[in-house]
Amino acid sequence: MNALQQEIAQLIIDTLNLEDVTVDDIPPDQPLFGEGLGLDSVDALELALALQKRYDIRIASDSKDARQHFTTVATLAAFVQAQRDACAN
Amino acid sequence: MMDFRIEQWRAWAPGLDTDEAWQAWAKHPVIVPDDDAQPTCDFLPAMQRRRLSRLARMTLHVAWPLCGEHEQLPLVFASRHGETPRTFALLSEVADEQPLSPTQFGLSVHNAIAGQWSILRGQRGESVAIAGEADTFEHAMVEAAALLGEGVPAVLVVIAEERPPAAYDDWIDDVPFSYALALRVAGIESRAETRTNERWQLRLEPNRGDSAAGAWPHALDLVRALHARDGTLEHPWKTRRWIWQRIP
Repeated sequence: MNALQQEIAQLIIDTLNLEDVTVDDIPPDQPLFGEGLGLDSVDALELALALQKRYDIRIASDSKDARQHFTTVATLAAFVQAQRDACAN
Repeated sequence: MMDFRIEQWRAWAPGLDTDEAWQAWAKHPVIVPDDDAQPTCDFLPAMQRRRLSRLARMTLHVAWPLCGEHEQLPLVFASRHGETPRTFALLSEVADEQPLSPTQFGLSVHNAIAGQWSILRGQRGESVAIAGEADTFEHAMVEAAALLGEGVPAVLVVIAEERPPAAYDDWIDDVPFSYALALRVAGIESRAETRTNERWQLRLEPNRGDSAAGAWPHALDLVRALHARDGTLEHPWKTRRWIWQRIP
């Protein structure tokens, strides 16, 4: 797990108040929603808000890609990285 | 006038979580320090606890053992002030022009805790969430009596109050510390062998202004009386005077 993935896993734990869950319990490729970690649609909204605040990025709620970005910690990290790179350019 | 039995009850406050602790409190009622302690609710998996506020945890903690595993029980949830810490946090975000947390916003209704109870315990029946004045507790009992009058065998009544943020100090003066009380209430004739000490009558009389409000919130005063085995309680509030009396 790279540093950004770890950071996002911790953000998920803190934002969603997941007691007894550690970063190691959320492997980067484990699905976050439904089967897997078991998050739901309210968690998705909460997480989107936290990511926007933390990384100062925009996530369009009607974006077809959003579902893809929110699949796993790895896809979220890739999305955040892409947004950062885009801003840097 | 309402007759009912208090079949079971359970109370929680910071540091007061056992019969012995409440017994001692009933002998010498004091304002216990509210250190933001909350019940763990570890009878639930962590994933199901993630959206439980402090008031929700207090409610579930006292109510949980009073409902049978496969039982459907109507619920009356009562709180005069509700979740003031959540309201205050949301209002602070609005004032700071910050986006609101979807979770906090979604749960910022008075019946949220009743809804969480329904989901977590698979309760598909009736539930009521009420807020009144200092006699909110008695109004909850009126609701329970109405449900019993419709023929349900038992009703779960929970009253829960949380110590509000300091910003409310000028307006809220009747929550000395956070507390929750759950009562399992049944009709007086619903079982032949009734233990005599569980039967109560509650009636409402006009308050002529000759009786002042008591030192403790009404629900805590009932907890005290249940332990002290007092026979009669009087809870005056404005024009109303509620009289609790044990039926021999």
